Amino acid sequence: MPDSVVLTEKLTKHYGDIVGIDGLDMEVVRGEVFGFLGPNGAGKTTTMRLLMGLLFPTSGVARVLDLDCWKDSVALKREIGYLPGEPTLYPRLNGEEHIRFVAGFNGGSAEGGMRLASRLELDTNRRARDCSRGMKQKLSLVLALMKSPPLLIMDEPTTALDPLTRRVVYDVLAERQESGATILFSSHNLSEVERICDRVGIIRDGSLVATERIDELGGKKLHNVEVTFSGPPPADFASLPGVSGVKAETGDRLVLSYRGDVNELVRYLGRFEISDLAIAHASLEDVFLEYYGSGDDASEAVGEGEGGEAS
Amino acid sequence: MRKVVKDRWPGMLLFLIGIEAYVLLSAALYPTVKNMKGLNQIIKKTPESVFKLFGMSKDFTSFNNYMVGRLLGLTWVIVVAVFVIAFARAMVAGEREEGTLELLLAQPIERWNVLTTEGLVLLAGIIGLVLATVLGTMAFGAAFGAHITFGGYFAFIPAASALFVAIAGYSIFFSAILKDARLVAMAAGGLTLVFYMLHFAGAYSSVADKIDWFGIFHYYDALKVLDSGSVPIKSVLVLLAFGAVGFSAALLAFRHKDVN
Repeated sequence: MPDSVVLTEKLTKHYGDIVGIDGLDMEVVRGEVFGFLGPNGAGKTTTMRLLMGLLFPTSGVARVLDLDCWKDSVALKREIGYLPGEPTLYPRLNGEEHIRFVAGFNGGSAEGGMRLASRLELDTNRRARDCSRGMKQKLSLVLALMKSPPLLIMDEPTTALDPLTRRVVYDVLAERQESGATILFSSHNLSEVERICDRVGIIRDGSLVATERIDELGGKKLHNVEVTFSGPPPADFASLPGVSGVKAETGDRLVLSYRGDVNELVRYLGRFEISDLAIAHASLEDVFLEYYGSGDDASEAVGEGEGGEAS
Repeated sequence: MRKVVKDRWPGMLLFLIGIEAYVLLSAALYPTVKNMKGLNQIIKKTPESVFKLFGMSKDFTSFNNYMVGRLLGLTWVIVVAVFVIAFARAMVAGEREEGTLELLLAQPIERWNVLTTEGLVLLAGIIGLVLATVLGTMAFGAAFGAHITFGGYFAFIPAASALFVAIAGYSIFFSAILKDARLVAMAAGGLTLVFYMLHFAGAYSSVADKIDWFGIFHYYDALKVLDSGSVPIKSVLVLLAFGAVGFSAALLAFRHKDVN
């Protein structure tokens, strides 16, 4: 039985008539990096704020490190490093003052924070109101990571960061995972999620619609297929079992997703003259798009690789 | 606590400088006003009830009465009330609007502790402004040859502080329950105005006078305190109770308030 660090059961949050999350069942186990995927408004930030005891649920249960997220909120926050979705800093305080402020609550020294700030090349003498979005994000990261807690909850940690800083953040997160920390984080950047996560949860309309292990994506039998026929493509190809959608159709060439036994597909294609065929395992992006289709929600949520956040 | 003080002291300092400047100006004008024969004749012809509205008497040669009419009866009350409401507005609703409440509550700290710490800084601010006013009035008044009733001014410190504690109580409550910081200022300012209007109407109507018992200005009589030199214990306790009820309600509301 895995050791749960985050466990929610039927967790629901409504804002009046608006559904934040609806009956969310989620588990994050000790030592893993869990990526939380979904477009804006899907419920990622609401879930994280509920886990931090910042929001109160309409119904349901949430436990972190076997503590109740609301009754044991103060004890819990000693064990969590939290990065909010937007940098929330005091305009008049500079970086070092922020670091000392947060260190004061946790009874720790600010030295670790200052070292981390230096690693992220952050000028800690500048007041928050004079900082760029990227600098504010760096400072928020320092505040979340400075106390080496057993759980990190990070809402879009690499937003507004340059690629070099992003790599430093990945390294720091990897170090934290090696030292035993569990990490729950959300991102719009799927290549980033694929790179650093052990598992991903896909949230849609406030519910977790899928949980996938990154290393098992290849075994999901979801393939991207690109086939060029020597003549006109067969009319019934789209209705073949397992074909989940024709993404492109130009003359004799078809690009589509296929879920199922690849032998069945090859046998079917063997009935036709084809001039080219490419079959590849689907990426996380393809898995994500399967749940979200290719509509606005999906394009909003899916990044274009490094630096490709859509929001 | 240090963060709250650091964050708020520029505002407090501005109010302090403004109040001291106004006290100095008022005290400096006192010798002139005292000797204006024409003005005193007008005052004599003005009905007593008009002065009663502003908590004053007809005797403008009295420094206490002059300071109440010029400053402590209304103008100064408005200025300090604005400070209190602005501070309370920034406490919860303002921090929520700026997003900094999320940073604060992500730390291992109880919500009541956050509110109490900010409340204590506000209390210190109120006492600081009242003290500055009293000390300034005594110093500048004496410098311009006024007769200073020291006992009266020392008694004025708890009496005036209690009034602003009452205003702080409901202002903090509005800050805890309302999401929009502008609404907090409007609600707290509006209620303060209603209380004042009620007190104003109480001077004319016996019905309004009875309702005024439920307002805060019924328990604030600056001239009486300055002249008598005794602390109005009952009034101070009622005003402190007002503040305590407002603050307790704020604590309860904030305990289960969403931060988003």
